[in-house]
Parts: sequence; C-alpha cells; structure tokens
Amino acid sequence: MHVLIVDDDRRTAGFISKALKQEGCATEVLHDGDEALDAILAVPFDAVVLDIMLAGRDGLSVVRQLRAKGNHTPVLLLSARGEVNERVEGLNAGADDYLPKPFALAELLARVRILGRRGGETKHAVLRLADLVLDTSARTAQRGGRKIELTTREFRLLEYLMRSAGRVCTRMMIFEQVWEYHFDPGSNLVDVYVRKLRDKIDEGFERKLFHSVRGEGYVMKDSP
Amino acid sequence: MTLRSRLALRFGAMITACLALLGGLAYHEFVTEPAQRKALGIPELPETFWGEYAEVFFYGMIPLVLAAGWWIIRRVIDPIALLAQSIERIQAENLPYSVPRTGGGDELDRLTDSFNALTARLAGSFGQIREFTLHASHELKTPLTIMRFQLETKLDEGKNLSPEEVEWLECELHEVQRLSKIVDSLTLLTKADAGLMKLEQKPLALGDLVRECFEDAQILAEPQEVQVTLAGCDAAQVLGDGDRLRQLLLNLTDNAVKYNRPGGAVSLALRSRDGQAEIEVTNTGEGVPAELQPRVFERFIRGTEARSRAIEGSGLGLSICRWIVQAHGGTIQMTSQVGQSTTVLVRLPLAPAH
Repeated sequence: MHVLIVDDDRRTAGFISKALKQEGCATEVLHDGDEALDAILAVPFDAVVLDIMLAGRDGLSVVRQLRAKGNHTPVLLLSARGEVNERVEGLNAGADDYLPKPFALAELLARVRILGRRGGETKHAVLRLADLVLDTSARTAQRGGRKIELTTREFRLLEYLMRSAGRVCTRMMIFEQVWEYHFDPGSNLVDVYVRKLRDKIDEGFERKLFHSVRGEGYVMKDSP
Repeated sequence: MTLRSRLALRFGAMITACLALLGGLAYHEFVTEPAQRKALGIPELPETFWGEYAEVFFYGMIPLVLAAGWWIIRRVIDPIALLAQSIERIQAENLPYSVPRTGGGDELDRLTDSFNALTARLAGSFGQIREFTLHASHELKTPLTIMRFQLETKLDEGKNLSPEEVEWLECELHEVQRLSKIVDSLTLLTKADAGLMKLEQKPLALGDLVRECFEDAQILAEPQEVQVTLAGCDAAQVLGDGDRLRQLLLNLTDNAVKYNRPGGAVSLALRSRDGQAEIEVTNTGEGVPAELQPRVFERFIRGTEARSRAIEGSGLGLSICRWIVQAHGGTIQMTSQVGQSTTVLVRLPLAPAH
C-alpha cells in the first residue's frame, strides 16, 4: 500500500510514516498543501493522511480541489481542533474519514487499512462468518442453526463488526459507526457491549469469532 | 445641562411657586377676607397677625413641599434606578453590554458612558483570555500527539522491557490520554463561551434518545450491580442537536452510575409538562453536600466523593452538560440529600406544535 502523509509538523509526520512502514506500507511525506495537491494528482496513492493545518493550501482546500478534479484517492483528514462541525465540514469537502488529534497510532493504522480497501465493498443483506449468519433484512442472528436474541444496539454492533470482518475496529470507530457518537464518551461502553455480545455469540463454541487486539480494539475472524 | 444646575433650577422654581402661593394666601387672609367681613358686617375675630401668618404657612407650605420634594427625588432617582437595573443584567456572557444613555447630557450620562467603556474593556480582557485558552489548547495537541506516539511505540517494542517499565509506560500513556481529554473539553467550553459552537436545530424525538440511553446505562451499571429503571418516557419532541443531547444523556447517566454505591439504583424519566420536556436522572450515591450543590456545574468543581474515591473525571463533564442544556434554551439543576440520593433535572423547551 502506497500512502502519502501530509503534516506540517515534521515529528508527527515522521511517527506516522514510521508506523505505517512497520505495517508494510510504502510512505511519502510532504509538509505543504500545494505540493501535496500536485503529488496526489501526479502519482496514484492508495491513501492520503492529510492534516488540515498546513503551510500553503490547507487540508480542506486540498480535498475540495482533488474532488473537483475528479480524483477519488481515499483521504483521512487529521485535525488538532477536533470539533463535530469540523468533522462534518471535512466529510462534506469530500474526505473519507476524519480523526481528531491527539490520536493513538493504532487508531490511525486501523483507519488507513480500511481506507485502502474501500471501494470493493458490497452491501450484502446476509452476512456470514464461519457458522454465524446475520440476516440484516430479517434482523435475525443464528449460530450453528441456533437463534440468538439480540437487542437493537447489539445487532448494529454485530453487523458492523461482521462487515469489517478480518479488520481491527477501534473503540472510537465502533462509537462512530454503531452509536453515531462523534465525541469522546469517556466511558467503557464499547468494551462492556462487546463482552456481552461475545458471550452471546462465542459461549459454548469451540471456534471463537471475537478477538480483542490489545491496545487497538476488536476484530471478528474465523481463526485463533 | 448638569444635574447640579438642573436641581438648582428646579429648586428655584419650587421656591418661586411656594412664594407665589404664600403671597396668594396672605393676600386672601389679610386683604380679601377682612374686606368681605367688613362688607357682611361680621366682626373681626380676635386673631393675632402671627396666628394668621402661621395658618397661611401651614396650609400652603406642607403639601407643596411634599409634592415638589417627591417630584425632584423622582427626577434624580429614576435614571439611577434604570442604570442599576441595566447593570444587574450584565453577565460575563453578554459582554460588552451597553447601558442606554438617558440623553440628558448630565452626570448620569457621563456615568453611563464610563460604565459602558468599562464593560467594553472587560469584554476585551475576557476575549483575550478566551483567545489565549483556545490557542493554548490547540498548541498543546501537537506535543500531546507526539508524547502519545512515543509511549505507544516504546510499548509496542515491549519485548525488552521489564514488567515495571511496561507498567510505568502504561501509566504515563493513561495520563497523557487524560490530559488530552481535559484539553478537548476545555477547547469545547472555550469555543462555546466565544459563541463559536454551532448546534443543529432539528426536530428530535427525545423519547428515542432516552430509551437508547437507558439501554446503555443498564449495560454500564452491570459491573457495579446497579439497578437502572426507566420510570416513564412521555413522547416529547424538541428542536436540537442529536449528537449533543446524546452526549448530555450519556454524561448524566454515566455519572449516576459512577457515583453510586454498589447495588444501588439509577432511575431515568422523561416527562412532557407545561410545554417543557423534563429529564430526571436520580441515583442513590453519596450525594453532594448542600454548600457544593449550586457550584457543581462550574468548571473544575469536583465533589469530595469524586476525590476521595479517586473516580476519574476531568471536572468539566457537568459544565459541558450545562452548556448543552443552555444552548438548547433549557435549565439544569441538581438536588441532593447526602447519603440518600441525588437528582439532576433538565428542562428543555418542547418544539412548537405544527
């Protein structure tokens, strides 16, 4: 995966680049908005990590220009302001995701991984993982032929985790997608919900589908 | 014209009026009345000159002095009372506040002008403090990001670390995250003070939000074996920002669970009453002492319980709650009986019916 990192703070950009390289990505680093725009238009990147505060053209304007020119490179916006309004503004400008500073590196990596795989997603109504079947139109869940009772929230959580199967979902991503909270709720709600859901799905089964990734979040997959 | 000259003029006018009246009465007493008596053949009463004079003075002077004095006092006091009323309306939030001039060009106008200049200077100072806090919290975020990265990277390379070192690093990371949350909350409140936070105004079914929050609260309360009940959920439509109202509800219920005793209870209710939606969150925690109750919504005010039980929090949660409620045109209040229960009552105006 070829990722461009644009941040006017050199140390932040350096850390992000190092972390992405450890993940096996090829990275390039720029510090200026105008240069970034030229680079993205010239070279096909798989994803761009773009800070809003930049020398020259700001991040929001870079995204607007890209989309206006018909370029659909996935963009993750970073910002030190971190307000709901700004998030909405960023997504309206055409960014694919938004992350307020300061964030965990694991959070950023999880989001970049998802950005790189975007596009090929189809919205199947029935989701399967091993012997777990989730029918999103009938709103039923079964494992090994046995029906599982879920509350509305549990159902939405399971659907999100199954759609992202194989990819780590951080607590913050779960909050945004399942709860539609775009603020830090300052509680361990996600962990408690996942624990409950895991009990309902995995208890009594040899093959565990829920896995927690220490310091990152949760992933559903059919492997140990 | 100055107040002094105005008062002097009015006083002069009053004296003149008094003298004129006195003259009139004296004329009546000493000239007209004796003449009438003479004409009608009534004998002179055995009254002394001074007695007649006292009568004139008594009847003429008393009501006049009262009326004129009252009039003068009103003319002076009224503008001062108005000025005082305007000054009482001033809050840090509505600065700079201009008190209207009386327009008489007198000392009162001068007082109003200097007062308005003072509030303008105050507003400037408040603005500078806000600007400073905003810049400071913004500038703090980049170093916080880097600190976090460094600690995380160090922890990731954990194989060569002793358990003590890992524990130390995790502790540091936790503190950095806590600091980040405080900086975030501070930024939000500073922006709210400066009127930079724009809230959505969408019709929302508050009942749905309360039920969602009830479901979350039950889950949050399980580890502490706290019983959560929904004591009623009327249909209530409000105009507002769904994200912020969810944040408010989660904050209040999360507090109700956190500051509870194990095995305690939390009750959640939504009522629609007198054109207002009332959300009530009650818990059976230690409570807040009476002297602290009016201050719990202020910034960085934390109860003794929060400190003694080392419950983690920024001390800004309830301030954010208050901001959200006020931004929706509502009120929030807390009542507590120490050792028994604490209730937070939020009132929000209902959306106008179509």
